[in-house]
Formats: sequence, C-alpha cells, structure tokens
Amino acid sequence: MRLTTGTRRGTGALAILLLAGTTGCGGPDPGPEAVTPTTVRVLVRDINIRAEGVDCAGTGPYLYFHHRAPFRLLDPDGAALVTGKLPAGTAVAAFAEDLAVERVPTYCEFAVPVQVPQRTGYRLEVAGRPALDLTPDSSEGPALVAVVPA
Amino acid sequence: MRRLLAPLLAVLVLAGCTARPAGESAPALAGGASTMPGPVPADLALRPAPGTAPAAPAFTGGLTDGTPLTAARLWADRPVVFTFFSSWCTTCVARQDALSDLARRHRDRVVFVGVAGADQAEELQDYLRTHRVEYPVVVDEQQTIWRSYAVREPPAVVLVAKGGALLRGWPGGLDAAALEQRLGELVLAGSG
Repeated sequence: MRLTTGTRRGTGALAILLLAGTTGCGGPDPGPEAVTPTTVRVLVRDINIRAEGVDCAGTGPYLYFHHRAPFRLLDPDGAALVTGKLPAGTAVAAFAEDLAVERVPTYCEFAVPVQVPQRTGYRLEVAGRPALDLTPDSSEGPALVAVVPA
Repeated sequence: MRRLLAPLLAVLVLAGCTARPAGESAPALAGGASTMPGPVPADLALRPAPGTAPAAPAFTGGLTDGTPLTAARLWADRPVVFTFFSSWCTTCVARQDALSDLARRHRDRVVFVGVAGADQAEELQDYLRTHRVEYPVVVDEQQTIWRSYAVREPPAVVLVAKGGALLRGWPGGLDAAALEQRLGELVLAGSG
C-alpha cells in the first residue's frame, strides 16, 4: 500500500495525538480515587403482612423496590458513583410486640454493600425514580441509610 | 461496481442469517395460546363449593403472545389456580419447578394460570422456559388483576372453584406440596 502526502500528514498527526493521549496532558496521573466500603440500607415502610425474615419487595407504590431493580448511587452533582441491581429485600418486623402469629406487619429492608469515594453527600436512584437522600449512619457499621416514604 | 457489491453482499449475508425458511413459523411463546387447556376429563369429580364463598373477581387479560384469556370461561367447567408472580421474585423462583410439575400432573382437571406483574417480556420468557411453565400466563403489566385480588407483592396463590367461587387465597404463596394437599381438601373429590 502506498501513502499519499496528505495521508502521511494525517497519519503523523494521529500518531502525535495518540502519543499525547498515552502520556497524559493534565500533569501527573493522580491514580484511582480512594474508596471506602459501606452499606446502602433502604427501609421501605410498606407495613405488609409477611413472615419475618422472608425475601420481599416493596408493595403498592413501592413495588419498584425489588430484586434486580437497577440502582445508581449519585454524588451531589448527580454523577453516578456506583451502579448495580438491588438484591431481594428482607422482611423486618414493623412493631416490637410479639403478636404470636407467623405473619406479622413488616417493612422490607434492602442492604447493598458498595465501595464509595468520599463526597459531601450521596443519593440513591432506583429504577429511574426520583433519587433519595442518603444519611450516614454508623449504629450497625458504616452505612448510608434512607427511609421510604421519608 | 465494487461500491455496489459490498452493500449487496452485506444484505445477502444478513438475510441468510435472519430469514426463516418458507413455511417455518416463529417458536411459540411460553405462556401463550398453545398452553390453553384441553377438554375437561369425563371422570373429573369435584367437591361442592361452599355456598358462602364470595365470587372471584372476573377479568379478561392478554397472554404472553397477546391471546385474550377470560377467567370466567376457564372456571365455568373446572377449578382454577391463579399464581401471581414476577420473574425477579426469589421465592417464586425457588418454588416454580415443583409448581410447574404439579400443574402438569393436574393438566385439564385443575387449570393453572400465571399472572405476571411488574415484569419485562424477555425476562419473563426466560423464567417460563427455565422453570418449564406449561400453563397460560397473563401479562398484568399495570397490576390491575393483582389489585382486584388484593395481591400486593409476589408470590400469591388463589384457588377458585368450578363456577367461580373464591375458595382461598394465600398471600406469600405456598409450595407445591401444600397446594396439592389443599386441592385435595377443597376441590378434588376422592383425593383429600
């Protein structure tokens, strides 16, 4: 294959651009951003009758909280820090009283382990719905928590 | 000429990869018209439904292939089991193989009908094929049928007697062994 003068010029310019791209144009490479392990916990307060501890989804208007529902963990600017799919929720008793029956009023709690960089705030978007504000909570290990409805 | 040849070859290659031979139809969708029940067996013996049982909510819905299903036509001549489920429901997944087998063993005597809500068509088809669901499945995209039966989340099972009496509902569903026992106690004469 023979190259014309124009083609040679174009090839030379491309090589320079590729070289610039590989060496970096913005100074020293800062390396990957440090991340911290935490757990995103969302308590869906749907007060549905279930056996405590069974897998669950949100009910009624919160049915979009379910196993395999897509989520995005966002920073205050709306940039996605983590994306993934929800695990199944777990039914937790809504009230402390022992009702002496198998199926009791419950909430559905989702717990998602994630690794996040340090930010001033975090939000959780599930299935494209409006994002929820997450609040840091260390009462049961490092966590970012939300309650639905707030 | 070369400029014309390349696109022409591409079209021919694509056509050869995607077109079906003449006379060959697309495979039937799981949960579609081909899964509708056959005639009621002549020896089907049923327990009488209690006169106090309320009427089951009647509905017409579309199967996975769009075929309309009218629930009252099914329960006009045999009991019907509705299984409310979603492909993402972990409890549904855990129980489905045994429920599919139970439905096959009672085929035409007790009709099983799946009612899939809050689901995606492709994921639903994967679920139905993976778990060998060979009974009709209504796609209840907006969960209107779910709501008419007070189903708030999957799984749930509802048993309707021949004639349309609502016999029992199990929010949270139940496994195949428990359902078979309840079929014997509530609808099938000589087996409970």
